[in-house]
Amino acid sequence: MTRADIVAVILAVALLPVLYLHFWSGGGFAEQVRIQEGNQPPHYYSLARDQRIRVHGPLGDSVLEILHGRVRFVSSPCRNKICVHSGWLSRAGESTACLPNRVSVQIIGQDPRFDAINS
Amino acid sequence: MGGGDGHPEPESIRTTRDDHRIAWLAALAIAIHIAEAALPSPLPGIKPGLANVVTIAALVRFGWGTAAWISLLRVLMGSLLLGTFLSPTFMLSLSGALASIATLGLASRLPGTGFGPVGYSVLAAMAHMAGQFTVAYYVFIRHPALLHLVPILMTAALIFGLVSGIIVFMMLQQMRSARS
Repeated sequence: MTRADIVAVILAVALLPVLYLHFWSGGGFAEQVRIQEGNQPPHYYSLARDQRIRVHGPLGDSVLEILHGRVRFVSSPCRNKICVHSGWLSRAGESTACLPNRVSVQIIGQDPRFDAINS
Repeated sequence: MGGGDGHPEPESIRTTRDDHRIAWLAALAIAIHIAEAALPSPLPGIKPGLANVVTIAALVRFGWGTAAWISLLRVLMGSLLLGTFLSPTFMLSLSGALASIATLGLASRLPGTGFGPVGYSVLAAMAHMAGQFTVAYYVFIRHPALLHLVPILMTAALIFGLVSGIIVFMMLQQMRSARS
């Protein structure tokens, strides 16, 4: 074994954990949800990990919940609560928003069901 | 491949010693390739790749050109004999071979003591798998779920690369001691 051999083997062994982390963590390629506040760049969250997300808008904090691959508004400091009443979103392409608080939510997936409906 | 020097020779092609060596070694590699095709595989894309033992040994003993010829001839003839010529299997095999030959070409031009059989073999196996997977993903099945296989495939490539490399290392030592 030359020194170059040892370096090659060590690099190859070191590459594997990187690959496992990159391709296997948090269902990396599962569907994601895109959450955007105002004109800020959007944030993406995996639907595979259950969590609560607090988004700060002009009226206050909107709270979103990701649970079992779905997402919903738990609460929002708006008057009509249209966003909260729209309930759980689970399909790629579905979206909702809290316009008064300027928070929009959309599920991003591999094959969105519809992006337009033509009657 | 070497050959004629300009004189018209309709009846026989003049061959060099290198040509014969390449032909013999390629035949050996093809035989191993076909024997291996009979083995069941736990996952498509995973196989020991023992034919690469011949390629790596040729690289160490006779240089990159010989190794490249053996590898390409093995892919071509192996596919003709197994009936997979120009099928996706062939494309994957070819892309893997090209990736590993290119990697070996770069690795063998490394200054200093350079690589021995184990280093070459590991690099070739990883490059083969990476090249093959890239083509499989971008050309044939562009499905994100396929990416979950990458770590498993690369782990298998590392293990089989190490095993082949150790075989080559032991083989070359035997050859050296047999000659002295």
